Amino acid sequence: MRRAAAIMWREYASFFRIPLGWIVLALFLVVAGVVFAFSAVRPGQPATMRSFFELMWWLLALLAPATSMRLFSEEMRTGTIEPLLTSPVSEFSVVLGKYGASVLFLLTLLGPTLVYVGILEWLSRPDYGPIAAGYLGAVLLGMLYLAVGCLASSLTASQPLAFLGTLFVLFVVEVLAAYVAPISPELLRKLLFALSPSQRLGDFARGLIDTSHVVFFVASSTWLLVVTTVVVQSRRWR
Amino acid sequence: MHMISAQHVSKWYSGTERGGVRAVNDVSFEIESGQIVGLLGPNGAGKTTTLRMTTGYLPPSRGSILVAGHDTVTESIEARRAMGYLPEAAPLYPEMRVIDYLKYRASLYGVPTKERTPAISRVLDRCWLTPVARRRVGQLSKGFKQRVGLAGAMLHDPPVLVLDEPTSGLDPTQIRETRTLIRELSHKRTVIVSSHILPEVEKTCDRVLIIARGRLRADGVPEALLAPMRERSAYVAEVPEGSAASARVAVAALTGIDGVEVGAPEGGWVWVKVLPKGGGNDLRELIARSLARAGVVARELRREAPSLEQLFFSIIQAEVPEPIEETARRSVRPGETARSAVVPNEDTARRAVPPGAVVPEEGKNT
Repeated sequence: MRRAAAIMWREYASFFRIPLGWIVLALFLVVAGVVFAFSAVRPGQPATMRSFFELMWWLLALLAPATSMRLFSEEMRTGTIEPLLTSPVSEFSVVLGKYGASVLFLLTLLGPTLVYVGILEWLSRPDYGPIAAGYLGAVLLGMLYLAVGCLASSLTASQPLAFLGTLFVLFVVEVLAAYVAPISPELLRKLLFALSPSQRLGDFARGLIDTSHVVFFVASSTWLLVVTTVVVQSRRWR
Repeated sequence: MHMISAQHVSKWYSGTERGGVRAVNDVSFEIESGQIVGLLGPNGAGKTTTLRMTTGYLPPSRGSILVAGHDTVTESIEARRAMGYLPEAAPLYPEMRVIDYLKYRASLYGVPTKERTPAISRVLDRCWLTPVARRRVGQLSKGFKQRVGLAGAMLHDPPVLVLDEPTSGLDPTQIRETRTLIRELSHKRTVIVSSHILPEVEKTCDRVLIIARGRLRADGVPEALLAPMRERSAYVAEVPEGSAASARVAVAALTGIDGVEVGAPEGGWVWVKVLPKGGGNDLRELIARSLARAGVVARELRREAPSLEQLFFSIIQAEVPEPIEETARRSVRPGETARSAVVPNEDTARRAVPPGAVVPEEGKNT
């Protein structure tokens, strides 16, 4: 685990040594600020961040692929994957370290938005339960999106391809849930809704922490990381 | 103990044995502790693939490689722990500072926290990196980057160092310094160096492996590999242009001469090259006396020293009439040198089993 931590800290620090990390951070904070200003801080409206969290999925669907696209693709492009995979570190530790760094970066993105809670507190008396649940949902959703991005990044040396691949998968899942599910047979409809992370985020935004949602996010993220590990490992048996 | 032992290693890319591209074909070698071994071959010969399999980055399609007694596939982590690896072109993270990169490498290799600072200072010093320790890798010259990669490879003091083109992109001074460093490192380590700079390998390595088209073509100490070539190396006399014909007649009459060639005149002087039949004594004295008797004044008489480069090209150009190679292989008993087992009157066959190469036992590759 120490080696995974070393990889995580190197990767996390690298987000701030390149322009991309700062661009993602700035973009997220600007858009999140606008969303908050127009959805939460409105005269006569209850002091909640529900709309803010409900809109979080598309913001994360754009920024998570931008964060995750370089995790493996950049190493493959520059060749640094070779000294990394010939050091005495298991493939799972490599995946865990890189994924951990992207999750840390996600937390760094979300951290400054806590100011919004302070603003709500200053303006009114917000209910902290739904806000905490909303943050939990946003983190779990982001973790899932980053796991998808991590897998996409392990499959190609091209960062744009990893970005577009992740974006494609995330939007296809949402489009299926939004447009195909309503006209599908019941079994398929249930399945498509079940696979849609944004549908689940709505419950968190309302302050509902459903264990099945938590299990869905954690299990699907873990499964994607295991697949990513197999992809990285496959180099050794190809 | 063999620090590296490769047994019947083959590698196919993109598919199965029949359908894929064969990069390495049935290569076997063993490297002792403290040896510096140069891996030579033209581009696409299979050098980098061989090194990648040695480091565990790629698995062999067939055969096995042990590093410090650990199989690179089944005991990959243990094998990797015993090894420092500098890949070709020294890939690094340009955004990191040199010292941060070395700290990161120390963490990856599990260097204990207390030992990290002295270990980093040691490699910074040995690789002449101290002045640039706080610079970002992306700002460094190619030579410095190469040294940073080398420093990273030797940071955990591994018993085996695998260096793929370590002098690539360095200037002559840096090449000499790196050569000195590699020689120093070999006192307590096994070093395998891939290079296409032949004089470089000749000066640095105790032993060379020449690989071509995925097969190991020669394996031995440079001196031993070159000895048979030395017997057949030409004598060169520089004589006045007007005496060229007399010189030619004089030396052609000597016994043990295979032929005489005369070069183009240059500044009133001309080269006369005397090709010996081989196997005999040094003919310089005989040639000198013969020229003197013919009244030819030679301002220089020397014997051409065979180089690894000549050996390399003779092997590479020989490519690869299998039946002749088989014939040559059959005529050499396991363990003896190929010098005594050259197929008569067949230059190609002579090259198929390089002179001086130790012929492995039955089933092993030459």
